Amino acid sequence: MMHTLLRYLRLFRVQVRSSVLLGMQYRADFLIDGAVSFFWTTTALVPLFVVFHDRPAVAGWSFAEALVVVGWFTLLEAILEGAISPSLTAVVEHIRKGTLDFVLLKPADAQFLVSTARFEPWRSTNLLTALAIWGVAFVRMGKWPSLLGLCAAVVLLASATLLLYSLWILTVSAAFYVVKVDNLTNLFNSVFDAARWPVQVFRGVLRWIFTLVVPLALMTTYPAEAMLGRLSPLALTGSVVGACAFAWVSRRVWLGSLARYASASS
Amino acid sequence: MSARSTVRALPTLVRVGFAEAIAYRAEMLVWVLSTTMPLIMLALWSAVAADAPVGRFDQRDFLAYFLATFIVRQLTGAWVAWQMSFEVRTGTLAMRLLRPLHPMVSYAVENLAALPLRLVVALPVAMLALLLLGTARLPRSPALWGVWAVAVLGGWLITFLANALIGCLALWTGSSIKVMDVWLVAFMVFSGYLVPVELFPGVLRTLVAWLPFRYQIGFPVEVMTSAYDLPAALGMLARQWAFVLAFLGLAAIVWRRGLRRFAAYGG
Amino acid sequence: MISVRGLRKHYTVYKRPPGLLAAFGSLFRRIPTAVKAVDGISFDIGRGERVGFLGPNGAGKTTTLKVLSGLLYPSSGEVRVDGHVPQRREEAFLKKIMLVMGQKQQLLWDLPPSETFALNRAIYEVPEPEYRRRLAELTELLELQDLVNKPTRTLSLGERMKCELAAALIHGPKVLFLDEPTIGLDVSMQAAIRGFIRRYNEQTGATLLLTSHYMDDVAALCPRVIVIDKGTLSYDGRLDALVRRIRPEKRVVLRLDRPAEARALEGMGKVVSSDAAQVVLQIAQDKVSGTVARGLATLSVRDLTVEDPPLEEVMSELFSQGRTRTETAA
Repeated sequence: MMHTLLRYLRLFRVQVRSSVLLGMQYRADFLIDGAVSFFWTTTALVPLFVVFHDRPAVAGWSFAEALVVVGWFTLLEAILEGAISPSLTAVVEHIRKGTLDFVLLKPADAQFLVSTARFEPWRSTNLLTALAIWGVAFVRMGKWPSLLGLCAAVVLLASATLLLYSLWILTVSAAFYVVKVDNLTNLFNSVFDAARWPVQVFRGVLRWIFTLVVPLALMTTYPAEAMLGRLSPLALTGSVVGACAFAWVSRRVWLGSLARYASASS
Repeated sequence: MSARSTVRALPTLVRVGFAEAIAYRAEMLVWVLSTTMPLIMLALWSAVAADAPVGRFDQRDFLAYFLATFIVRQLTGAWVAWQMSFEVRTGTLAMRLLRPLHPMVSYAVENLAALPLRLVVALPVAMLALLLLGTARLPRSPALWGVWAVAVLGGWLITFLANALIGCLALWTGSSIKVMDVWLVAFMVFSGYLVPVELFPGVLRTLVAWLPFRYQIGFPVEVMTSAYDLPAALGMLARQWAFVLAFLGLAAIVWRRGLRRFAAYGG
Repeated sequence: MISVRGLRKHYTVYKRPPGLLAAFGSLFRRIPTAVKAVDGISFDIGRGERVGFLGPNGAGKTTTLKVLSGLLYPSSGEVRVDGHVPQRREEAFLKKIMLVMGQKQQLLWDLPPSETFALNRAIYEVPEPEYRRRLAELTELLELQDLVNKPTRTLSLGERMKCELAAALIHGPKVLFLDEPTIGLDVSMQAAIRGFIRRYNEQTGATLLLTSHYMDDVAALCPRVIVIDKGTLSYDGRLDALVRRIRPEKRVVLRLDRPAEARALEGMGKVVSSDAAQVVLQIAQDKVSGTVARGLATLSVRDLTVEDPPLEEVMSELFSQGRTRTETAA
């Protein structure tokens, strides 16, 4: 067990090294990507301004509080851009070119190999933007998150990242079934975009969907509530348990997709 | 290829384009699911308007607006920029250039060939809108419907030409996806796709008037929901088509220049 | 070492009839067709053997290789490679094998091959001294000194293939599957790679399975061949025996000082080609010595060779025989 852990840690280090070397080749891209990311994030704030333009609160959330949710959304986008999307997009390329077989031939877990193929932490400029958004939000509110709230937020950051990763794995598993995969990224982004709003804004069926089926609520709303000091311990445990359960489900789906790939192709 | 032979080839091109569009069931499902953003926005804005209307929009107005947005988006969508980027990157653009058919025409036909499919998705939504809201907000006069049809055509043209323009950039830089990303977010925010343009605060509203985005979605939707009387609608229509002509000219220039460079360097 | 019993691999393909209405219909109801890529084959391969897989396109060769390497699951049948069941994809199994595919590569595209070597070393857990030794050997044998530090995308196809082979052998696999390894390469590169593969087999005793459409590959590397046609085994044995069975004739090439008259050639055997300088005859094995003697006596022969018919001809004869057999059966 220990041996396997050490082995995968060593593999992880080798993969990161490859990514860094690759990143150094395309330095100009990084600046452009950072600029585009920033533009996306700031422009996407406009609807928020319009919503709160002439009213103090929506569904129990004030402008500053909603900004905290947006901050979490931005942070998750940063993690997505830097740690998750690059490698999983590479999987889609592999499937398209037929070189996924080489990954499957290797004596290491395929999901691990494809997930760590490309780490581009320099793309995570949104990290800074997220911190800035939080700064603005808490200054406006005139109070700062408690220590307990921050601890809860850190725990939820881990579970939110796990959820994000699992969602992506589910999307990529679909790549085995569809022939043209470009729309998949589109689909993911369209659905994930709803996470910038506090989940209480959505009512009825949609709220259930965003809490249980595609758990966007656990990724942005609950961590924001933790920072604001109004997350119940039940919701906190529920989030963590939910994230683990979701990760388990996505692993099963991935393995199933691989098995189908091995059974149904030639 | 002459205009006459192009027209003769059209039926086959359209038929094949349609067959291609429905060749893959799973893809279709994915694509349908990814165009649901207006519906999510509807849920959001309905909640916002729950206590008090936002501007002139109460909950039913938002319902009408976003269902109309969904329909107009289906009718005017284009993705040529991604297609061109992909083809330049993989070198398959050369195939298109070899054919005796103007590449822009073939892109346009492929896009339009998938239109019946998009109508199939839009139609139930239109039915639903009629059921829930009745015809209260729809334009009364046939003239306004005529304006709407032309507005939708103009919206499609601007979307297509903007896509083509950005796609042409790939002839210089190899991949113009990032430029498309920038365009896309500006489009989503300033076209009325996420927020009715009317609701923008003062300074942003002036900005939006000078950008082409609102003529892609916002304007046709506003005509459809009776936001204008005939003279005002015609005025806006003129501005829309000014943008169409501007894009047409720009796209033609960029395409020709880009093609020359592509041919010189092999892409 | 490798044992295959009753291997079957079927999968479903959905027919798409032409025409608009049919295309629309396929949205709701699809017509499945079963494709039998491999339909019941059995064979055994011993340790250190070099075996060639032959067969027309679509015969099921690549499918069989993929099943043997664990990439595809068989529909039915038993497969064992060195005691492992490939389907289980055990770590120990994967460390013993390698699949090299002609037109596809595992080398990282934007980085130099040396990075792929390092990555493979970590993945296959090759001990440092063994890695260094093998890398040095491979670099020397394949002449990679100038290549390994340039980004893969800047190398030519032949150079890439050499680096690809090196990457594949870094962990010293005991079973090597090669799927069209020389496709698209120029003649001298093909010969170099063939020589290298042969030396690897001789030095390490690795078992080799090769599919190729280049008969030179098969002739140079594989004393034993397995012929697969339409998913079934049609021959398993020595290559030279196969040649003798299909074309039990020899080619006699006579290079002449003076053009031969048609009369002189009569009765000597089938004339494959004849021009002023050279006559090529196809003669049954037992008649070769008689014909040669007659040729030397009646024609002014400058030079003479007796050869087997070209392998390509033998193979196309074999495949077309198979086709007529199934056509008459159908």
